[in-house]
This record gives sequence, C-alpha cells and structure tokens, in this order.
Amino acid sequence: MSEDGTNDPTEGGKLIAAEYVLGVLGAEERREVERRLAQEPALASEVAFWEQRLTGLADTVAPVAPPPTTWSRIEAAIGAPGSDPSRPVPMAAARPASIWQSLAFWRSFGIASATLAAASIAALAYIGLVPSARAPLMATLGGAGGAPNFVATVAASGNRLVLVPAALLTNDPRAMQLWLIPAGEARPHSLGLVHPGQPIALDIPRDLAGRVTPDATLAISLEPPGGSPTGLPTGPVIASGKLASL
Amino acid sequence: MNLQREFCKGRAPGATEPMDAEALRSQLAAALARVASGDRVALQLVYEMTSAKLFGVCLRILNNRSEAEDVLQDVYVTVWRKAAAFDPGLASPITWLVTIARNRAIDRLRASAMTRRMEPIETADAVSDPAPGAAERVEMAQQHQRLAGCLDELEGRQAAAIRAAFLDGTTYEELATRMGVPLGTMKSWIRRGLLKLRACLER
Repeated sequence: MSEDGTNDPTEGGKLIAAEYVLGVLGAEERREVERRLAQEPALASEVAFWEQRLTGLADTVAPVAPPPTTWSRIEAAIGAPGSDPSRPVPMAAARPASIWQSLAFWRSFGIASATLAAASIAALAYIGLVPSARAPLMATLGGAGGAPNFVATVAASGNRLVLVPAALLTNDPRAMQLWLIPAGEARPHSLGLVHPGQPIALDIPRDLAGRVTPDATLAISLEPPGGSPTGLPTGPVIASGKLASL
Repeated sequence: MNLQREFCKGRAPGATEPMDAEALRSQLAAALARVASGDRVALQLVYEMTSAKLFGVCLRILNNRSEAEDVLQDVYVTVWRKAAAFDPGLASPITWLVTIARNRAIDRLRASAMTRRMEPIETADAVSDPAPGAAERVEMAQQHQRLAGCLDELEGRQAAAIRAAFLDGTTYEELATRMGVPLGTMKSWIRRGLLKLRACLER
C-alpha cells in the first residue's frame, strides 16, 4: 500500500490539480502547485478544468450580505476619488439638471441608502430572522441591434438599482426614461430618467420594490425632455431586458 | 400581457426572450473589462452583483465573520488590480471571482490553522447533508446541474467528502478527523471520487 493508502500511487500525481482546486492541500503543497502553474501549461489547463467544473458547488452556498463597511474599506484601499469626506457634493449650488446627471450625487445618495439597507439585512441575518440575503438581480438591456446598451443591477437589499451604459448611444436629444414591467403584469411603471453616458443609481419606490423580481422587465424609452407626460411610455423603446438572479 | 409584448417590441428580433445566464455572464465580463481599465464604478457594480455570494463562500470556509470580511476586502482589491488578467475565453466571470475568493479564504484558513479551534458539530452537519436543497438545485445553471448529476453517481460518502472539502476548504487530515476515518481512507475516497467525477464530466 502506498503511503497515502491508494492502490495506484500515480493517482495522487495526476490529481494534484483537482486536489488543489478542491482545497484539500496544505499550505506548502498549495504554494508548490502555484509555483508549477506558471511553468506547466498542462497543469494550468487541468486546474482550469476543475475550477470550471467544481465551482458550481458554490451555488449551494447561500449569499450573505457583507457589512456596509466592507465597501468603504475597499474604496479606501484602492484610493477612490470621492472617498474624501472633506469634499462634499455641492448639492445646493448645482442646477437640477446637473444634479440629475451627477454621478457623485447619485453615488453618495445611493450608497447612503444601500448602506442602511445592507446594515438592516445584516442585522436581521445576524439575529436569525432571515436565513440569508436574497441574491442580487441583474438585467442586460439590449437594443434593436442585439448589442447590450445598459446593464442594470438591483442590490440584494432590493430597493436600489444601478444602471450602467454598456455602449455609447445616439445623441438623440430626447430624454431616456427607465420603466419596470413587473413579472406577470402589463403596465410599465416609471423608475426615473436615465443618462446614456453616465452610470446612475436610482432608489426604487417603496410600492414597487416588492415587484422588482426575477422575470420582471426593465425597458428604456425615448421621451420628451423631463420624461413622459402621461405616466406611460410615449416614445420608442430603445433597450429592454429581463431581470434574473445572479 | 399583450401590452407588455407591445411595449417590448423594440428589442432585438433575433434575441431570445429571457435574459439568460449567458447574457448575465457576458455583462459581468464587460464590467470586469471596465474594471481593468480603471473604472471604479464598474468595480462597485461587480461588488454589488457578487459580494453577497463571495462573502457567503468566504464565511463558509472561515466560519468567522471578521476574517471573512478581511478576505472579502482583499478579494475585491485583488479584482481591482488583476482584472486585466481575467480572460472571458477561459473562465466565466463568476467562476473567476469565486476562485479568487476561495483561494484567499483557504490560504487564510491555512495560515491560522494552528490557532483555530475545530468546529465538529457544524461540520458534521455539513457532511451529513450531501445534497443541496431542492430550491437551490432549481437555481443551478446547466453546468452546475451536470456536476450535481455526476456527484449523484458517486458513492454517498465520496460525494459528501468532496462537497465538504470544496465548501469548507478543509485539508485531507481535517476531513479524516471530522469524518472519523484514517487519513489514507479519506484520500482514497476523494481521489477515487475525483477520477469518477472527471470521467463523468467529460462524457
């Protein structure tokens, strides 16, 4: 019998990549595999094989909202601009239009509310009232060409949506308005105006928050300046997509 | 329903109706590409999309909130610095991120192994629950279902040991202790299980 008890002593050597990915190796053996990875393409592709196949097991791990301080610490660690509290956003001085388009404004606003929500969820999870945070949602909003125009994500807290333009759009002077069509419903609800050139964060109105679920549709239409006068989309839809759990 | 259809008419004629996993994956990949070019908002987007999953993964391995928070921070700082190394042709973005998180968490676990107290009750639970819940399985993507199917073909104790090893990041030695079998037996279970798993996954 070999030292590790397997019948075939070569199995261990062949399976070192799988064992590395599985996580059963000790610190020394892990460093050794990592040293070899740089020089042995065959080993690297074997590791990649197992990473792709085994990582599905992580699906069985329930998501847990990290504490709100973690993101601030990451921002501080990467030296993000705007993390300096001595430079507040001049909200009073800005015109409404520029407030609307100001990423700093939306970020500071959104982060404050997301922080509060994440803290509440973390607190609830901690005392065991909810088993875990729900998964964040995401949607790709594609246009007529099939290419994605916007990417939307809804934080695990469910009350904040971040919309990021994925492609440069037309210079059409009309306003772009974001709509939610809840799953199984027909009527669009406005979530607000968006900007084709800048990421924005939107707070989801409380009455709609429960309906921002997987299979709800997000869509963006072209509207007169200031948004649709009727409360329903009046112009063409330039991008739409369904939300799904990440 | 008709109104909704009418309203969404502007979408791509060739596009499939539901936004599938493939589309989400390509968008997370796009966000990572933006992170690689130094876009902090894209990093925040990646963080909002994935941090709860990665924190869950770290927490499961480390079983300690404060250590898991440290590792999570480290993971996203690594993502910020190394996003350019992500190759969407080689791995899915979530696989890449989970891999970074697991590796960091396991390294942390090994580093503090000497001072850690084992958690036999918690682990006994994890080991005696070899299959994920029905709800979780529904959420599994196709490839994950395939893995689950292949694990189902293994002997129960082999599959349980492999699941526990992956989820808890424990060494052969710890697994053997926790499951009350000799080290050689544990290595044999896992290696045979991995060989069968590989054959099944390649089928």
